[in-house]
Amino acid sequence: MADPRDEPSDGAPSQGAVATEAPPPVVPEQGAPPPPTGVLGLLVREQSIVVPIVAVVAALAIGAALIRAQGVNPTYAYQSLFSYSFGTADGLQATFEKMVPLILCGLAVVIPLRVGLFNIGAQGQLMSGAICAAAAAHSVREAPGFLVAVIAMVAGILGGAMWASIAGALKASRGVHEVISTIMLNSIAAGLIDYLVNGPLKDPTSAYPASYPAPDAAKLTPLGFIPIGLPIALVLAILVAWMLRRTTLGFQFETIGRNRHAASYAGIRLGGMIVLAMAVAGGLAGLAGSVEYLEIDPYRYQDGIAGSLGFDGITIALLARSSPLGTIPAAMLVGALRAGSSTLMFNTGIQPEIVDMLLAITLLLVSLPIIAKLIFRRHTAKSSALASSWGS
Amino acid sequence: MRSHVKLSAVVAGGLVAALAGCGGTTGPSTGSGGGTNTAASGDCSSAEVFCVGLVTDVGKVDDKGFNQAAWEGVEEVKGELGAQTKYIETTDPKDYAKNIKQFTDTKYDVIVTVGFLMGDATRAAGKQYPNTKFIGFDQFQADPVVPNVTGLIFHEDQAGYAAGYLAGLMTKTNKIGVVLGQEIPPTQAYAAGYENGAMAANPGIKVSKVYHPAGNTAFNDPVWGAGEAKKMLAQGADFIFGAGGNTGNGALQEAAKTAGAGDKIFCIGVDLDQWNTLPAAHPCLITSAEKHEKEGIGTLLKQIKSNEIKPGNFFGTAGISQFHDFDSKVPADVKTKVGDVVKKLEDGSLATGYKP
Repeated sequence: MADPRDEPSDGAPSQGAVATEAPPPVVPEQGAPPPPTGVLGLLVREQSIVVPIVAVVAALAIGAALIRAQGVNPTYAYQSLFSYSFGTADGLQATFEKMVPLILCGLAVVIPLRVGLFNIGAQGQLMSGAICAAAAAHSVREAPGFLVAVIAMVAGILGGAMWASIAGALKASRGVHEVISTIMLNSIAAGLIDYLVNGPLKDPTSAYPASYPAPDAAKLTPLGFIPIGLPIALVLAILVAWMLRRTTLGFQFETIGRNRHAASYAGIRLGGMIVLAMAVAGGLAGLAGSVEYLEIDPYRYQDGIAGSLGFDGITIALLARSSPLGTIPAAMLVGALRAGSSTLMFNTGIQPEIVDMLLAITLLLVSLPIIAKLIFRRHTAKSSALASSWGS
Repeated sequence: MRSHVKLSAVVAGGLVAALAGCGGTTGPSTGSGGGTNTAASGDCSSAEVFCVGLVTDVGKVDDKGFNQAAWEGVEEVKGELGAQTKYIETTDPKDYAKNIKQFTDTKYDVIVTVGFLMGDATRAAGKQYPNTKFIGFDQFQADPVVPNVTGLIFHEDQAGYAAGYLAGLMTKTNKIGVVLGQEIPPTQAYAAGYENGAMAANPGIKVSKVYHPAGNTAFNDPVWGAGEAKKMLAQGADFIFGAGGNTGNGALQEAAKTAGAGDKIFCIGVDLDQWNTLPAAHPCLITSAEKHEKEGIGTLLKQIKSNEIKPGNFFGTAGISQFHDFDSKVPADVKTKVGDVVKKLEDGSLATGYKP
């Protein structure tokens, strides 16, 4: 089932039975030698972990050459970057703060990937969540701080879920490809929010378009250097992993992702599941937006607040090879690189864009099967999360 | 099997070699101050070493805009003040405070923050680090002012007024236009100054103005700017003032492409002398409504060094740039009149009529 060639191409319901258990990552070809054992066997079996690690190391090596070319000692450069991100209280807090939306947006891409959908719209979903959180927090600003924060988060989840389920509903009812609809919804969200922060939600005391700030009591102040959002994100990552592995809902998601015809034949309601998967994903991205709003200075919605977090979610999901728990180390790496980039610039003069370059190289190496082919040759796992998107 | 093992060994070996090769001879001491930042690395906490740090708004120090102007302003007086300088480029607006802290942690004497979006972060840092001086570039300081924060701001309306006055004297069609970015106080000031200046020179003139309607791309939408300029030119305007970053640049470039550019059609740049930054507009670029940003930064840094700095707002001067290739096309009497107006604006004897 992991082999894409197994999927029926004529649109007829599959005659095959629905897979009742996750297939092994490596499908031995007929006549091929048995899978290797020992250390290499372990590496082959765990290649979804091995490949990203090798890719990161290779990217850092290429980055080292680039840093070297600018006349800076790469060891010193990496040292100053990571010693800030992990070695100082400020830096660790910055790393954690950046991890939170990255994990959540990563999950927002991972879940649809499991259903065979490619959600490019985490950006718009995060923005909708953030603006809904801002609107909700402002309208109940007199309530106790804790309550305001909870209401803002719930509003963020609903806002993101609503935005994503538009794409889900379009897919389910009209077969509109989710890549097209989510990317267009990103622009629609940007335009709508632009109107809101220039109009009904504009803080009149601000010289530039911005929403009302979060009430002081509702701001999520970090516990020491641990931002409140971090445990939330970690718990959700674990919950999503559990949901996908151990629940009926997760089983239905996975089944649709592996073969929607078989899933439909087995009585799974495709349309409802697609909308649900998108809504859950959008809710996670929306939560990321509301946590950013409540947790990060300037505590309001204004231009540039969303950055490229939603798109970074795609990076995270691919680095994590669409494993929910994998988003945690992936987000930690990206967060640490981003948090340390200004120290890198301060100490060495290397432009902060080096971080984007490192990530791009890593991503390229992860997405192209080069590394896996090079190391594992014919033992390379054939399934690719990205290759499974359907609907066109 | 064997070949797999060998191959992975080769890959691993290659990576190790690459890393080792990069270790090289350059020690951390060279790396510490290297790159595009200054090479000097004294201890900023000592009283003798005068350290100036700059944090850009989201953008680069070679953005041909205010980040570049601010950094060049710092670099220009660096030698004179014996200063040690360094900058950090911001990539995420949520990092303003973190980037400022890089400098306060290493005890920099002065921190320049660029752009009015960084105003809140700068004032917060000023309260937190009372012994550090802050210059907030383009940041209006409302009461109550923070004693160690000085906002460097400009009368955009004066620059706009001078530009409008020139256009008013030189227009043949009695129609001129201005294409602006987002409607925020600086662009409003440019527009009001431009209109009033044009009216003062030529009471019968008609000024069409348009603001970009959307916030997030308002200063980076050259296509829209070009479209608006095209409409104005079609309606007979012969002067186009582009005041809105890249959006305005689009308008200038459209005018430069229009038939008659440089003879019948002229355009006016904004913020800094765009003759130096936007060669594509050369066919029509008669002058720019210029804020003297570099000079403003230099003046304030000198004031800090000699301890004459005052909190609150410091107004840099504003006017129009030189005419470059258009010098021969501007009649002598126009030059005298415009020069007169600029002088009067500077000494305060002429008001632009703009109320913030």
